[in-house]
Amino acid sequence: MIWQDFKYALRLLAKKPGFTVLTTLVMATGIGLSVYMFSFFNTILFKDLAFKDGESLVVINGSLNGQREESEINWLDYQEIQKNIEGLTEFGGYTSANVTVSGRDGAIRYVAILAQANIFNLTRTRPLFGRAFNAADEQVGAEEVVVIGYQLWQNQFAGDKQVIEKSMRIDGKNHRVIGVMPQGYLFPRNAQVWLPLRIDPSQLIREQATGLRGLAHLEKGVSMADIDKQLQVIMQRIEQQYPQTNSGISAFISSVPGAGGAGGEPVVYTMHVVAILILLLASINVGNLLLSRALERGKETAIRVALGAPRSRLITQLLWESTIICTIGGLVGFLVMAWGLEITEPIVTTFFAEPLAFWWDFSVDSYTIKLFLGILVSTILVTGLLPAWRTTGGDFNAVLRDGTRGALGKKAGRLNRLLVISEIFISMAVLIAAAVMVQSANEQTNKDIGAETANILVANVLLPETNYDSAAKKIRFVKQLQTQMQSHTGINEVMIMSSLPGHYSAEQKVMFEGKEYTKSSNNSYPSANYIATMPGDLAKLGVELRQGRYLNSSDNSDNKQTALVSESFAERHFPSQSAIGKRFRLVAKETGEIDWITIVGIVEHTIQGNRDGSAASVPSIFRPYSQAPRSRITIAMRLTTDNSHVIKLLRKALQGIDSELASYRIETYQASNDRITAPVVFISSLTALFAIAGVILAASGIYGVMSNTINQRTQEIGVKRALGADEGVIIAEFLWSAVKLLLWGGIPGVLAGGFMGFAMAQMFGTGMSALVTIIVIMISIVAISVIISTYLPTKNALKLEPSQALHYE
Amino acid sequence: MTKTLIKLANIKKIFYTDEVETHALNDITLTINKGDYISISGPSGCGKSTLLSLLGLLDTSSEGVYQLAKHDVSNISKKERARIRNMEIGFIFQSFNLISDLDVEENVELPLTYRKDLSKSQRKAMVKEALEKVNMSHRSKHFPSQLSGGQQQRIAVARAIAGKPSIILADEPTGNLDSKNAEAVMDLLDLLHGEGATICMVTHDPRSAKRAARNIDILDGQIVAEQNQQSSNDTAAA
Ligand SMILES: Nc1ncnc2c1ncn2[C@@H]1O[C@H](COP(=O)(O)OP(=O)(O)OP(=O)(O)O)[C@@H](O)[C@H]1O
Ligand SMILES: [Mg+2]
Repeated sequence: MIWQDFKYALRLLAKKPGFTVLTTLVMATGIGLSVYMFSFFNTILFKDLAFKDGESLVVINGSLNGQREESEINWLDYQEIQKNIEGLTEFGGYTSANVTVSGRDGAIRYVAILAQANIFNLTRTRPLFGRAFNAADEQVGAEEVVVIGYQLWQNQFAGDKQVIEKSMRIDGKNHRVIGVMPQGYLFPRNAQVWLPLRIDPSQLIREQATGLRGLAHLEKGVSMADIDKQLQVIMQRIEQQYPQTNSGISAFISSVPGAGGAGGEPVVYTMHVVAILILLLASINVGNLLLSRALERGKETAIRVALGAPRSRLITQLLWESTIICTIGGLVGFLVMAWGLEITEPIVTTFFAEPLAFWWDFSVDSYTIKLFLGILVSTILVTGLLPAWRTTGGDFNAVLRDGTRGALGKKAGRLNRLLVISEIFISMAVLIAAAVMVQSANEQTNKDIGAETANILVANVLLPETNYDSAAKKIRFVKQLQTQMQSHTGINEVMIMSSLPGHYSAEQKVMFEGKEYTKSSNNSYPSANYIATMPGDLAKLGVELRQGRYLNSSDNSDNKQTALVSESFAERHFPSQSAIGKRFRLVAKETGEIDWITIVGIVEHTIQGNRDGSAASVPSIFRPYSQAPRSRITIAMRLTTDNSHVIKLLRKALQGIDSELASYRIETYQASNDRITAPVVFISSLTALFAIAGVILAASGIYGVMSNTINQRTQEIGVKRALGADEGVIIAEFLWSAVKLLLWGGIPGVLAGGFMGFAMAQMFGTGMSALVTIIVIMISIVAISVIISTYLPTKNALKLEPSQALHYE
Repeated sequence: MTKTLIKLANIKKIFYTDEVETHALNDITLTINKGDYISISGPSGCGKSTLLSLLGLLDTSSEGVYQLAKHDVSNISKKERARIRNMEIGFIFQSFNLISDLDVEENVELPLTYRKDLSKSQRKAMVKEALEKVNMSHRSKHFPSQLSGGQQQRIAVARAIAGKPSIILADEPTGNLDSKNAEAVMDLLDLLHGEGATICMVTHDPRSAKRAARNIDILDGQIVAEQNQQSSNDTAAA
């Protein structure tokens, strides 16, 4: 019997290949897109780490003013937390630092993890060779030791098993290799070098204590929310006790992957909602197509019921049809999605200067398969039960009597209206949310960072503190490098800064001369990007001077301390007077000699790092490199010849000056800036893809339901025309009912989309006027498609003479 | 004293479907006077419904002239035809054709709402009068699905007469009813005719046909005979 029904369903589908292909494609789109979205975010944010107890490992992050953003917490605060919190065990912690490793292939820069000794125990992983850290390694002044990653072991030591006890030069100091971690072990993200974190127990002042990320295991049955609540209480207590350092500072926990999503919740949630809505749209559309087919067979169904066919049998038949369509569509969607995941990794890799986090392994994993199966079953049920409920629940007698109504049955009418309302709601919400996303990505990529990026090659160099422990050494190096590179033909200009416009920069708290600061909190000092630059470089980069003068060679270390500030800095701190000549000083961790710094010029605003929201508007201070030397520098070269030649020249120059120096992230200035906006562009392209799919699904779906509804009401139209309604009256009536549907679905849709859009606009700093414009445009698009979906079928129905319409079946 | 209401002259109706021509009506000439009570009979497919559709301006003829109250309505605009249907013609269908979303009162009021010259209270009064005439006032808030077939058809009659049309066109009004209900609806038409209404009705049922004063027989799209009940004489179609 089941086999018979299955064959019957297959026959029905084969009879209408166009219908079958259409519905299958709709289903493929819905399932493929939503599974992709879920799998993508699961991989980067929600996945359990692949070692034992990986699901209970959590990170304790710091937060400022309630902003859940990945940041370190103070070591002393962390001690308090450990003492007072319940539900966490095995406390550990780590921080990171840029180091230069010199070896076989010259000097290479790594991001080293400075970890407490138990880091490998926390992740339940033992070294492949040698040993993990122990308590002795943590002592200040103990022998320098290092645990290295598999990849580094292969590259630097050619996989030599005798590596243990060998020494490795890190930042110009010999470190004894004590362990090699197994292949693929990159905890906490993409580490290859682990050094013991050495905390001086005499670090008693909060201002001077190390910052770190806490690590711990969550005890069974304890929720993250529980811990968050406790953290808040503990941190509030500390804040009351130490307002100076801790006001506004709190802490929160997250999973290790989840920490990366902190602060990005609006986008993540919106994308998930959008994915679910797209799936719902696809299901509704297929359900409706199946429904209209079932209605075509309505008479047949009624006769079958009259002849005694049990309702369950009819439902089974309908379910078979939807099962076949959803399964084939689902499989097609799944294959395309699997391919999408496959190409995601190479694309995402380009967004980051560092290797991807080790759990970012985009592939069809067990989660994806489980999710796919779950979604498949629900779509089968939704698409099958919708028509089943409608056609077999009806009044057969009425259908058979072929009689009374010239109109659509009440229940069918209600269902159709509900379908259209849902489609309007979904498409409105999806469109608005997606448009805000695309708009803010656009704004971000087109933002003026303040500099000209054309024909410039950039590279980074790290000066290890061990060899460059004095300002004089750093200055000498920088001057040497600049002079050498400038002497080459093919290089027009050489600029050296601690961070170029567009790039992330360190921030610095400052205090102004003659201004009283409430001593209650360090967080009340104004903060700005703090950038060191060689004289003349800002002009060369096209950062325009607004007032005063650029830095020049007279601003050297012997002279009075000087600075340029960005226009935004001047406007923020000296709104009613000129900032030129004003003096400020750094709020320093170290207490000691205080130098007043005089503002000598104002330049245009530069964006340092993220282009969105408040990050983009952080003002900047530019100091002469000779007065404020840094160990991390970026060299920018304006070229007339090709890059590869220049890269060789740079490597050679560095080797010539100091063989232990590494240049890294050599790329064009444009590329380095593009990378900063790449994730946003990627997510927004993804959203745009969803939105386009959503619009097509929704528009075709609305048209489908509307033309169906109107088609089913052809007789009613005939009756009304017989009674004297002219075309205008009929069209007005249908348009009016469409407008009502538009309001029913559109108002909640605008609210939902507006809510998601608003949350993202807040996050990205997209203006309210853009949001309003987007909402208006999206309302028009949806409204127009609803009106067209109503007008065309109505016009079509009116082509029939009333006499024909009356007898329309 | 008879007043001519409708004059059909040499009306033809040809349907074209898939290269097949159906000559549904072939040279129909017919005059309907005010107060006439006409029945149209004939075998299935002979063109009765087609003729009624043309009379009711639900369709246009392929050839010939149609005069309604001295006006040529063969070639008028769709809008004008809608207006005439609304003002001058009342339809009763075999399958009742009530609108299921509307209750009884709203169904009867529906054609009146298409007029611009009636106030709400005027419409209400006309609906009340029509429902009283068909004896269905007590069901004014019911929906069609809550009524029996006979009751639905009485509502359809009320809807047809509510606007005081010049002529009532009924296509097998008793076709879907049992004999008792059919009888009731026919009594109602008789009553309306007694009050001066002009009625033109298609029917298969000879007993219903007997109630009409003029019995027209159609065969293959042509009027083949007309019987006049009063005179009992066979006369050829004029
Ligand atoms: N819209 C149409 N298109 C094509 N042919 C039509 C159309 N309407 C009617 N016909 C044809 O015209 C002829 C007359 O049809 P009509 O409906 O007037 O018959 P009828 O006398 O009312 O029959 P019945 O007693 O069965 O209702 C038939 O042959 C029918 O097939
Ligand atoms: Mg007929």
